[in-house]
Amino acid sequence: MKRVLGNKIDEEQLITEVNRYLNDYHVGIDAAKRGIIRKYGGADSSSFVTASSVVKKIGELTGSEQNVDIVAKIVYVENKDITVKGLSKTIISGILGDETGTASFTIWEPGVTVLDKGSVYNFRNCYCKLWNEKVQINLGNRGRVEAAAGVTMDLPERSISMSSSECKIGSIKEGMGNVTVTGRIMSTEARNVMVRGEPKTVYSGIIADDTGKIQYSAWNDFSLKEGETLCIKNAYIRAWKGIPQLNMGDRCEVSRVDSVFEVVNADSSRKTVDEITRIGGGLDICVEGLIVDMKAGSGLIKRCPHCNRSILNGVCTAHGQVEGTPDLRLKVVIDDGTGALGAIINRADTEALTGVTMKAAEGLAMAQGEGVVAREMASKVLMKRVRVTGNVMSDNFGPSMIVKGASRVEVDVESEAAKLLDEVEASI
Amino acid sequence: MNPRETAWRVFATELNSSSLEIKATEEKSPSYVVTPLGAKVNRVLIAGVMTEKENIGGDDEPMWKARIQDVTGSFYVNVGRYQPEASAAMADIEIPCFVAAVGRVRTYTTDDQRVFVSVRPEHIVKVDETVRNEWILETAKSTWRRLKNAKTVLGMPDAVEADLLAMGMTQAEANGLLYALDNYGQMPDSALYLKTIQSALRMLMPERDIDLGFPEDLSDEPDEIDLEPGTNGGPANYGQMEDVILNMLEELDTDGKGAPRDELERRAEAEGISSIELEEISNILMDKGLVYEPNLRYLKRI
Repeated sequence: MKRVLGNKIDEEQLITEVNRYLNDYHVGIDAAKRGIIRKYGGADSSSFVTASSVVKKIGELTGSEQNVDIVAKIVYVENKDITVKGLSKTIISGILGDETGTASFTIWEPGVTVLDKGSVYNFRNCYCKLWNEKVQINLGNRGRVEAAAGVTMDLPERSISMSSSECKIGSIKEGMGNVTVTGRIMSTEARNVMVRGEPKTVYSGIIADDTGKIQYSAWNDFSLKEGETLCIKNAYIRAWKGIPQLNMGDRCEVSRVDSVFEVVNADSSRKTVDEITRIGGGLDICVEGLIVDMKAGSGLIKRCPHCNRSILNGVCTAHGQVEGTPDLRLKVVIDDGTGALGAIINRADTEALTGVTMKAAEGLAMAQGEGVVAREMASKVLMKRVRVTGNVMSDNFGPSMIVKGASRVEVDVESEAAKLLDEVEASI
Repeated sequence: MNPRETAWRVFATELNSSSLEIKATEEKSPSYVVTPLGAKVNRVLIAGVMTEKENIGGDDEPMWKARIQDVTGSFYVNVGRYQPEASAAMADIEIPCFVAAVGRVRTYTTDDQRVFVSVRPEHIVKVDETVRNEWILETAKSTWRRLKNAKTVLGMPDAVEADLLAMGMTQAEANGLLYALDNYGQMPDSALYLKTIQSALRMLMPERDIDLGFPEDLSDEPDEIDLEPGTNGGPANYGQMEDVILNMLEELDTDGKGAPRDELERRAEAEGISSIELEEISNILMDKGLVYEPNLRYLKRI
């Protein structure tokens, strides 16, 4: 206790305090210690917590630990600037590993802590959480990091490299670990980005097979060329706003394949909303369904001339009071019986679907008010069957599409009905 | 926040034959009606002929009741103050006409545990026959899919949700179907639903002589949609029965609220009128404008 409190209290005073707790108030020794240290604010007030923390291996973590000590090696580390309640701060995050596994970690109050990749540290008083069914290790203001001098640690070869699974692009899902795909490079471009403070060139573009297309990012130069067909091993999937993307990292192997195969329909891949929900999102997806709802923000809107955001009452969230430029759009819900998809439809397609032109909308708004425009458009599109194409992303409210192309759909009811009749008759 | 609920395509016969519910357990979590074929319905998309509409509220606060007939039966529709758009639309709709609506399902359970299902449209719009026919086609396909799935799963006594997903069903389909098979306590009446498909196909292909082998009397509702009220008089002896029912209504209406349905049914049964016939007769009387339903439990003379 004396060590903890340092020179904040002299020995005599300490003994008096202890006596008071133990003999006058008859509290237990542990409670007395805790109380006194709290009262005088130990130099390292967290150390008393250490007493009750447990030591665990990464593989033993369940994600519910409140106070745990972990000895682990830094697999990867970076500083991140984040904004918390409007204040920017720097945190450290990365990946820790020991003999039993790896987990991501975050140090929320790093102070002057500097961690070296490949070194082993003792992480004290961590708390764990589960996110996406994976354990995350956190160090809050009680947490401490100490160099574990003399400890060496060999991490096992990552087992996932064994289990790279072959899959079709159309069935790639967010969070898939390690995949092998065969597809054709539809486009490629080089971009210079800063990664961990160093300039790096990434090569990105679209790759497609017969089931779908996906955006890829190659973090090394595989000298990818448009039009060639590749077999890509050990790629990993990360989602951006729910859209899965294929990443080709250090462990990725690329080989050229001769086989000629049909790439997915050049413009888009047809999916049901249920299929989209399972995947999370994707590029150039085509959905057919009924417009079952139209949301606020549809019809005649104003956009900020600087940033093109839609604005309300002449005020842009970024640029304040502005003279808005008029535009038309629809925010609708499309339901195909397997699920519901939010869709934002641009001016040209809005005009085509509703038959209400920009000019007509402005005339209508002038004569009868802006709300009338949206109502008029709703009456033109509600319960109508449409086919929309665009990029789909997902959030808590489900999938939504930024529509690139929209058209009305005609159904050949009679031939479809005849098909159904044949099927029913055949099976009864 | 949950993703938006899918609008199921379900015929009136299937929806109205539902008696199972999955009630919300937490605030803001949705409730579902589970049909015998396993459609786990919170929201529906319906279309058909609006044959009746009535404002049972006031002019300032309208409360619309309506009946929408598809090829298999009638949807009971209520529109109140919480559906402002649908309410405004209701005022402008002139019956009879083709409409399509999307909305939530509500249930009402009588004292003797019978369940009535009604629809509260968020949107209801006038449509043309093409849209209505497309709906019939889509709904027939969807019914057929559920029927096929139900048959398959009935042959797999130990099937769990994962097995159903592997067969290509959606999460909602798999979940609803297992719930229905586990809780209805009896096999779905496949003849009834095949007959709805037959009616749908007949409507879509009138010139083909479609016969899936189901006689007309399997359904308790008229097979063909009749746009002109009063012409679906049915068998001759209904005329007599109509008078019997009208008299009963008057007798049973002790407090001005109308005659309770269950009581009416008991009395009718005693007179040799089956509940199916009673339903038919009350439909006819409603079409003739002689009676109405102040709410789903009661029938009242005008």
